[in-house]
Amino acid sequence: MAPFELVVPSSVEEAMAALRTAGPGEASVLAGGTDLLNDLDDHRTNPRRVISLRRLPWRTLDWTGNQLTVGSTLPLRALEQDPEVAQRFPGLAQAVQAVGSVALRHRATLGGNVVRSAPASDLIPVLLSLDAELDLVGPRGDRRVLVDRFLRSSRQVDLAPGELVRSIRFPEARPSAYFWQRVRPANDISQVAVALAFSPADHAWRVAVGGVPPRPLLLPEPARVLGTGAPGPEAVRRAARLAGEQAPFVTDRRASEEYRRRAVSALLVRAVDSVLQAPEFPG
Amino acid sequence: MTRPPPRLIVNGRPFDLPGLPDDERLLDTLRWRLGMKGTKEGCRTGGCGACTVLVDGESTLSCLTLAKEVDGRSVTTIEAGPEDAVVARIRSAFAAAGALQCGYCTPGFVMSLAGMIRERGGVASRAELLEALGGNLCRCTGYASIVRAVDRLVPGGP
Repeated sequence: MAPFELVVPSSVEEAMAALRTAGPGEASVLAGGTDLLNDLDDHRTNPRRVISLRRLPWRTLDWTGNQLTVGSTLPLRALEQDPEVAQRFPGLAQAVQAVGSVALRHRATLGGNVVRSAPASDLIPVLLSLDAELDLVGPRGDRRVLVDRFLRSSRQVDLAPGELVRSIRFPEARPSAYFWQRVRPANDISQVAVALAFSPADHAWRVAVGGVPPRPLLLPEPARVLGTGAPGPEAVRRAARLAGEQAPFVTDRRASEEYRRRAVSALLVRAVDSVLQAPEFPG
Repeated sequence: MTRPPPRLIVNGRPFDLPGLPDDERLLDTLRWRLGMKGTKEGCRTGGCGACTVLVDGESTLSCLTLAKEVDGRSVTTIEAGPEDAVVARIRSAFAAAGALQCGYCTPGFVMSLAGMIRERGGVASRAELLEALGGNLCRCTGYASIVRAVDRLVPGGP
């Protein structure tokens, strides 16, 4: 690991100043560190300064009616153990439980996962299906951005110099599910994954897939085919077929394109079943 | 004003660490600075669980944790003494079940279980204990004997 200076600011202002005074590419931000430390070890990132967010008051979980706001540095383990999250955002709880291991989730954070934007992230598909937004703080003021717009490509996000993700906002509790396929159930990377959610406000579904390059994405057509409420078996079959046809899967060392296309259809069928069986499903 | 040196409380004993490098991982501090070789280095990427310790009672991958990030906190390792009843009980269960062969992964397994038992307030279910082991790899046992050790930790077990 290349030597770096660890800076631990105790206020947001201090953190932004520490970011600002580092030159371009000279600073890395450390939330849980479970992804960043691997990059540091492999010299994929060679910062002169690492800015730890651990003293910032962002380990929060707040409800405003139907809306959930998760502080960016809240450990994933705390998020998955909140009974209200599991009940009102089941897809989110299921996705968090798919990440690494219990020990890893004691340090890994939702904010870190989004900003690091690994192409195989288990959390990003669910954030997309829930229309999650990020609240950013930065030298030019605060702004709010949809996760779908924030993500540019693999490991590339719309974060201006000096900006930090303060929290992740979920605008509406949604019946939802996250289903994945991988070699080992725990501590592995998903080959393919489906996040499904139903918006009671829009009477519309969201379908997002993981395991596609360069980053997880929403598939509007299968979502449309699922209709405005509980879909019948024919609609589910059509949506599953469309997901398999339309997701831009490729073959890589984890799985073949063909395998992924077939798996995504099966996962979508299971996800629909799971959402329809939830007592919270409207109608 | 000089800043006090970083301090770790390891198995109840405080260690001041003047000169601790900013980029040093907790795993290396334990093994090479404090000479506690019970915590093992496996993959060093968070994939094997061999380096698992407790930080303030929570299972933590010491290979993915900067030592300075846990400044002032309590670390529990496999070297914990008999006064740590949870760790002692798990060690006994592993011995009684013969749940190790080469033993390299064992400290990580024991600490992962200890974290879950602490989190559940002293008693964890079989499912919770097995979930806690999801990030621990063993290349010798085939896991069957480890599961038998887990069964000894569940109320009503053998």
